[in-house]
Amino acid sequence: MRRKPALPIRIIVYLAILFVAIIINLPFFWMLVTSFKTEDAAFSIPPSFLPTIFDLRNFVKAFELIPLARYIWNTLFVALTVTLLQLIFNSLAAYGLARIRFRGANVVFMILIGTLMVPPEVTMVPLYVIVKQFGFIDKYSALIVPFMSSAFGIFLLRQFFMGIPKELEEAAIIDGASRMKIFVRIILPLSKPALYTMALYTFLAHWNEYMWPLIVINDAKKQMIQVGISQFVSGWETQWTLRMAASTTAVIPIIILFFFVQKQFVEGISISGLKE
Amino acid sequence: MGVTGIYILGTVIPSVIIGLLLAALLNIEWIKGRGLFRTLFYIPVVTSMAAAAVIWGWLYEPNFGLVNYFLSIFGISNIKWLSDPNYALLALIIVGVWKRIGYNMVLFLAGLQTIPKTYYEAAEIDGATPWRKFVNITLPLLSPTTLFVFIMQFIASFRVFVSVSVMTSGGPAKSTQVITYYLYENAFKYLKFGYASAVAVVMFAMMVVFTLIQFRVSKGRVHYQ
Repeated sequence: MRRKPALPIRIIVYLAILFVAIIINLPFFWMLVTSFKTEDAAFSIPPSFLPTIFDLRNFVKAFELIPLARYIWNTLFVALTVTLLQLIFNSLAAYGLARIRFRGANVVFMILIGTLMVPPEVTMVPLYVIVKQFGFIDKYSALIVPFMSSAFGIFLLRQFFMGIPKELEEAAIIDGASRMKIFVRIILPLSKPALYTMALYTFLAHWNEYMWPLIVINDAKKQMIQVGISQFVSGWETQWTLRMAASTTAVIPIIILFFFVQKQFVEGISISGLKE
Repeated sequence: MGVTGIYILGTVIPSVIIGLLLAALLNIEWIKGRGLFRTLFYIPVVTSMAAAAVIWGWLYEPNFGLVNYFLSIFGISNIKWLSDPNYALLALIIVGVWKRIGYNMVLFLAGLQTIPKTYYEAAEIDGATPWRKFVNITLPLLSPTTLFVFIMQFIASFRVFVSVSVMTSGGPAKSTQVITYYLYENAFKYLKFGYASAVAVVMFAMMVVFTLIQFRVSKGRVHYQ
């Protein structure tokens, strides 16, 4: 058993950690406080660290000034659709790559892994051209169709499927189960943790996405929330109390969600070590 | 291009060092509530860069922003963070570091947990100080993780776009014109798709080359146990 250091040292270490935790989260605290301040209070020196109004009037104003409710709805729709489609397609592809031997399986897998190394910024222009030729510009399909499946998700699930004992499937094959039945009845139920982690990543990535909607969506009504809260509407730039209210609306649900699922999330990163 | 280089150096090195230090702190066994602190340090990673950039835009506000208020306590006054070409890139670097510390910390924590405790116990019997243990056991055994974190951060920094787009739009006076923003402007503002694609190819080639160089340089310095 290693012994603890003396009390003063322990207190210093605790204070150091607490200090860092406060500094790191100060921007979010400041956002929250500012969204509950009158404009005069927000623009006062020295700044007050406490809210001055105790109702949601900044939020109401922000929702009036920009179509925030619409943005939230759009983003939820796109992010949930993408997540659902990825659950279906990624798991099917991953199962095929993990279990079914076919000619060129390794080549397909290598190509898939290879695409992980190409960042989206590099393929942004050609992808835009393709999407435009499909006539998807200013449509949700531009945000959904290119992301129906992802190499990262397939890779993650394939690795997980490979770890499931083959004996389970062999027993089912002897009982006369079809591939599809094995997949649905055996593989998927056993892979709940991996599917859950992948779904969380996908949803979060698409809720937070900024660059792609900025490029393919011009119609303000169809915009996603991240572009919506950060774009410059006239008279909007300097209204910091309202902008902070809008940011709070976009950020706080994610932080709350994260507190509930942080275990899966952080472990997912430690295991896969991939993607932010 | 120089701007991207400075941004990469400015974000990667501090975010890796701070991430490692935090991981080392949170790896101390007698600290209670490590899970909670880990969660708190990780929050900036899960929030969107766009919202973070809006929030930091307010923190950097020259007259009423919190950053300048804290600096004024130390007698530094009125830095125009986002509109002064000398400070805009630094402002973006600070945001970048802040956003990634938690990610690095989690990877380092996972790496630290793979180091067998017996090594430390043996070192203690030999009378090693905490610092000696850190330098002679932790750092060498953590080197595969460190290399991985470095490469991940290098690529992430290379890809910086959102904070530039939201906070500075490449300005003032092109002082924050990073390669991805240059690419974006050429493609979607000036509609020079061919030129922008060429920039994209160059960008990708540079990422590959630099990543390979990092592998080469680290050869012989990384110990896989």
